[in-house]
Amino acid sequence: MGCEPTGSHTELPSPGRVLCLSWHPSGTHIVAGSIDFFRVIDVASGQTVQRIMVNHHVEKAKRECVVWAIALLSSGTVVSADSFGRVQFWDWELGTLAESHTVSTSAALSLAVSEKEDSIIVGTSTGATYQLQLLPVNLGGQEKRWVRTKPFQFHSHDVRAVAHSPTALISGGLDAQLVIRPLMEKMQKKGYDAVLRKFTFPHRRLVSCARKARLLLFQFSQYLELWRLGSTEETGKDGEVLSLCRMPEHLVQLKSKGPEHIYCSCVSPCGTWIGYSTASRFHLYRVRCDGDGVSLRKVPKVPKLLPPAYQLQFSANSDSLFVASARGSVHVFQLLEPGGCKHLHTLQPPSGCSEAVYLLAPSADGHWLAAVSGDWAIHIYNLKCFKHHCMVPAYNCAVSALAIHPSTNNLVIAYSDQQLLEFSIPEKQYTSWSRAVQSRGLHRAWLERDSPITHITFNPKNPAHILLHDTYLLCVLDKSLPLPDDSTLLMNQSTLKQLPETARKRQLHAFKICKKFQPLLFMDLLDENCLVVVERPIMDFKTQLPLPVQQKKFGT
Amino acid sequence: FFTERVFGRSCPEGLRYVSPCRYVLYVSGDFVKVYSVNTEEILRLLGGHADLVTGIQLNPQNHMQLYSCSLDGTIKLWDFMDGIPIKTFTVGTKLLALYTLASAEDSVFVVIPKKGERDTFQLVSVELTKGIGQDLEGKELSVVLDDVGASMKHIAFGREGTYVVSVKDVNLQVYFFKRKLLNRFSLSTVKTKGDNRFSCVVCHPKEDCIATGHADGKIRLWRNFHHKKEYTYSTLHWHHDIVMDLAFSVEGTRLLSGGVESVLVQWHNESSCQKDFLPRLGSPIEYISMSSDGVLCCTLHTDNRLSIINSNLRFSRSIQGLIKSRDVKTGLVVDPRTKALVLNGEPGHLQFYSLQSDQQLFSLDIVQRQYIHQAGLKQSDLVKVAFSARGTWLATVEESEEVTDPELQLKLWLYNEEIQSFELNTRINTPHDNHITDLCFRDMDELGEDSLILVTTGRDCVFKVWVMVEDTDPEGNWSCDFVGSYHNYQATNCCFSEDGSLLAISFEETVTVWDSLTWDLKCTFCHPPGNIRNICFGRLTCSKYLIGATDYGFLCCWNLLTCALEWSAHLNVVVLQPDPLSEHIAAVSWLSKESSLFVFKPSEPRPVYIQRNLCKEKIRLAAFVPRDEPENTEKYLWLRKSQLFFLTDTQELMTLSTKSLEERLTPSSKQLAVEESLPVTPFSLLLGKHRHQQAQEDTDLGKLVVHNKQEQASPAVKELLHTPAHVLPSASFLCTIFINSLLISKENKSAEEVADEVEMESEKAEDDSDEEDVTAMEQEDTSHMELLGEMTCKLSKSQEKELQKIRKMDYSWLSAL
Repeated sequence: MGCEPTGSHTELPSPGRVLCLSWHPSGTHIVAGSIDFFRVIDVASGQTVQRIMVNHHVEKAKRECVVWAIALLSSGTVVSADSFGRVQFWDWELGTLAESHTVSTSAALSLAVSEKEDSIIVGTSTGATYQLQLLPVNLGGQEKRWVRTKPFQFHSHDVRAVAHSPTALISGGLDAQLVIRPLMEKMQKKGYDAVLRKFTFPHRRLVSCARKARLLLFQFSQYLELWRLGSTEETGKDGEVLSLCRMPEHLVQLKSKGPEHIYCSCVSPCGTWIGYSTASRFHLYRVRCDGDGVSLRKVPKVPKLLPPAYQLQFSANSDSLFVASARGSVHVFQLLEPGGCKHLHTLQPPSGCSEAVYLLAPSADGHWLAAVSGDWAIHIYNLKCFKHHCMVPAYNCAVSALAIHPSTNNLVIAYSDQQLLEFSIPEKQYTSWSRAVQSRGLHRAWLERDSPITHITFNPKNPAHILLHDTYLLCVLDKSLPLPDDSTLLMNQSTLKQLPETARKRQLHAFKICKKFQPLLFMDLLDENCLVVVERPIMDFKTQLPLPVQQKKFGT
Repeated sequence: FFTERVFGRSCPEGLRYVSPCRYVLYVSGDFVKVYSVNTEEILRLLGGHADLVTGIQLNPQNHMQLYSCSLDGTIKLWDFMDGIPIKTFTVGTKLLALYTLASAEDSVFVVIPKKGERDTFQLVSVELTKGIGQDLEGKELSVVLDDVGASMKHIAFGREGTYVVSVKDVNLQVYFFKRKLLNRFSLSTVKTKGDNRFSCVVCHPKEDCIATGHADGKIRLWRNFHHKKEYTYSTLHWHHDIVMDLAFSVEGTRLLSGGVESVLVQWHNESSCQKDFLPRLGSPIEYISMSSDGVLCCTLHTDNRLSIINSNLRFSRSIQGLIKSRDVKTGLVVDPRTKALVLNGEPGHLQFYSLQSDQQLFSLDIVQRQYIHQAGLKQSDLVKVAFSARGTWLATVEESEEVTDPELQLKLWLYNEEIQSFELNTRINTPHDNHITDLCFRDMDELGEDSLILVTTGRDCVFKVWVMVEDTDPEGNWSCDFVGSYHNYQATNCCFSEDGSLLAISFEETVTVWDSLTWDLKCTFCHPPGNIRNICFGRLTCSKYLIGATDYGFLCCWNLLTCALEWSAHLNVVVLQPDPLSEHIAAVSWLSKESSLFVFKPSEPRPVYIQRNLCKEKIRLAAFVPRDEPENTEKYLWLRKSQLFFLTDTQELMTLSTKSLEERLTPSSKQLAVEESLPVTPFSLLLGKHRHQQAQEDTDLGKLVVHNKQEQASPAVKELLHTPAHVLPSASFLCTIFINSLLISKENKSAEEVADEVEMESEKAEDDSDEEDVTAMEQEDTSHMELLGEMTCKLSKSQEKELQKIRKMDYSWLSAL
């Protein structure tokens, strides 16, 4: 069930078009919002049982009133948010307006109701969100009324989507921000959850790297860009900027067809294959570099997948492609020269799974594949015999990144609560280092970080090194060094520099953190001496945003 | 001898509306004023508190009664329609605010200072004992809330009195009476950019919703506040500065808010999108009050003005007494034409204030520029004003507040008989290079038009003489005639002698005297050390003297004939004011936190009158206002022709009066008296005739009933006609009084002389018969109040009274038969 106010809110969709939908919690009815009216449809008969004009009482309304969002409460009340900035409560059976709240002078675009149906969050085109609460008119009395209570201004542009969790209000806007605003009154104690969170970047990999070919593939919402990295022959000290002997080169831009956004993409390690997937289709391309020119050729007869991929991953030797799919399945495609592919096998967890796979990690030797599904179960498959190998013990948190160590075949897992675990695939158990970490606990400052680890890689030169990064820091985790305790400084690199050699050794601990690159989108080790880091300055896309709704601000 | 506040501070806890929208009650200093909404006139002045009145509330049981509380520690219950104090409850501590509840019949809530702690206040409920008699104790104190704000706006009672809310700084506390539950909420002060302290609180009349105003201009609407955690509030924000007051409509669907923007904002249904504005109310709104039937709303402004606003947010009318301006720079000037007091009014305006009617006659826009209420903005304001002797010319000086470049303008206005107002005649830009310190006219009736000259003195060390020239250029017909200076000293004061021949100008330490015909320097005086603060010439018989006061604390009197110091006195004179109609000069000194008044004649170094400790505040300005008729006081000759008014630092206007407060109150209550509007009938003619009768006070009776001074025939008739039937004694009882009143009494022939004699004899000075009528009427009412309690005793007294009446009756007419 999707509803998308696509395009700018100023372009009005054609009349009669359904712009939003909501199910009755019991599943018997659907409300569908259109322009100037909404309909209530009986699911069993498929017939429209009520049609209500939303601006009926507005005399000679010159403008159309677009119902941008709608919700059907279990009591039978229909809540509509419209382009006049109103949130209206209707009794659909009688067809009467119960309450009307003008929350904003601009359009109300999105709506979400809490599970208890006592609170509503509304997003508007000015970037403000408003909370409406069902409150007793008189203390202790039975009569209740919806009251607009708290306004929040976290966005600069349209708030296109809102969600209401039991303890927080979540809003996403055209300004590329996701905001989680906890409801303090529902919080039992102060902690991680009781802090306002803002996310600018998705906690997904948007950049993929072809190590051998030194190519980077950037995923944008409607297109992909392939770049060749520049290179240098010089060496220098820490902090120096080396001059390039070869400039980075924009090789090709691949535009996706249709209005659909690109969901995931990947470039093969050899740099000759590019795969991407939208909400409905999966595409595979063959890249050929002829000297300076680059040609892209679509691979014909790609097996149609329904639903398409949630994650793509090429094997280390670029001869197969793993496609994460629904119900915990992973499709394995064999890539054929000069440009073709064949469906080899579909890996599925033995016990079955209802959630889709969203993270994949193949081992460097091509023997193992780890897949994480939406129920946070991590399954490990043996690729030689296409068999389920084992499952990592369940942990009650989402996996944010995972990778298999090239030499030891240990699976390193980063969870969204910032825990780090290491699981030995051959031995089917946690490694001793991981157990030590668990018994000792990670540093508090590490656990209180805001953004999850989005990518893990390894240093081929030193197997004890694990490279991790999130949006704000890059960390080299040295397993050979002792773990820091809460009394020591976690980010001690700058203090270490000032210490003499002997003292420095005493102060060393496992976490070596660098915060130089922010916001950090991607980091990978190309070879032993070369690390690629992708930064995306926020101003880059802030300037590309459309103009926000004009508002008069006092004193400006 | 009584000092009294004529017009008190605007505020403090002013403003209550009375249904059915006919009266506005308004606190002014020690008084409560009752205004009629329809006529904008003051109907009653409720006086009797010994200190500032801090709160008034209507009696919820009887809307014709009013509770008032004062810093003097008493709560008074009034019948404000008749201006009668019904009961006085003595609490004993300072009372800072008063609240009444419909559900709590015998108690009121007051804010008192907490014992033993400075600047902490608590809300207590006071049991009002139902005793007999006027003066009662209100001692049963029980603390409801601790640590509350001292202002009345900081506490509000919720729907049907189920809870009480108090705000102070960033804390809000709610106390639920039934559940005995106290909830505290506080706003965070860390994250906010502005100052989010609470400024006022009101409660929704029908729902459990609290509206609070904040110093940063936000209005918060609190709900669910019986939960400690799950309380919630929404915010309305329009004001850019502090929200001074809030008021809900009767049904609670509308919320009114006001602040320094001088805009009344009406919020509908607690929605921030639906709001209406009533802009340009003139000055910052300080209080908002809603009439109990919701038809009208009334705002009190910081400049001491009431605006009455219709429910559809239309400005209806304003009631304005003395406008309080930010700073009275012009001094107190008396308009010779209207005898009105002239001073700074609204910003940039000159107000003409009639002392007799306590009304603003009109407001003259001098600066003629839009005034913007914004802190830190330098705007032009009126600083000096002078009238010519007959009031035909008005000179004004305006300057901007900037210190370096004052942007001076001198304007001359000519009175136009046709439009009954002043018209701008001449505008002179930058008359001086620096601030103008003083200006005065010479306007002699004998010398004709040519004598009219204006002198201005400036800090640019010169004085300038301005005269009218015949050729009229568009800029006006005044031009500079002479520029004088003295040793490059700053000129500070100027004044003409009574005959206009001499001009005295003070230059810092020196007073110079100039011949006004030739502009020759005649002589100089000085009394070092110290600069001259004030100068003035003596008048009438003392016109050969020049009086000067120095800021070093000396008052000097120089003889102009001998050019020598006649006498000097060590006195820190801040105000020196000559009476234009007599030789007397009033000097107000300021020493060790009290102002004292000295009245003297220049010819005698001994003062005529001394009043030490006139008031605690510093007196800044004074003016003699000529009386319409000379007052008949033997004792205070210097007050015969004029009345002296003072303006204190807090802009309280005060006067000296020879009569006590009670006597002064009677004429004001006269206005309500019904007989004024009686139709002309034979009966009313009869009453009119009897009005001039003067009956002698029955001294025996006076002892019995405290205030019952006089009882006479014609008021008895009037009372018979105007008192509601249900409170009247039986007809048989009244019959004799009525018959008596129709008889022609003995005193009739020489009523006025008798009155005079009585006044001399009796300590309680008697008034004219008119005034007396009303007093008698009022007193009769109170006696009825008492009558309820002591019926039998009272009746016997009345009967006694009757007997005495009959005994005194004039039976001479019988012999004529």
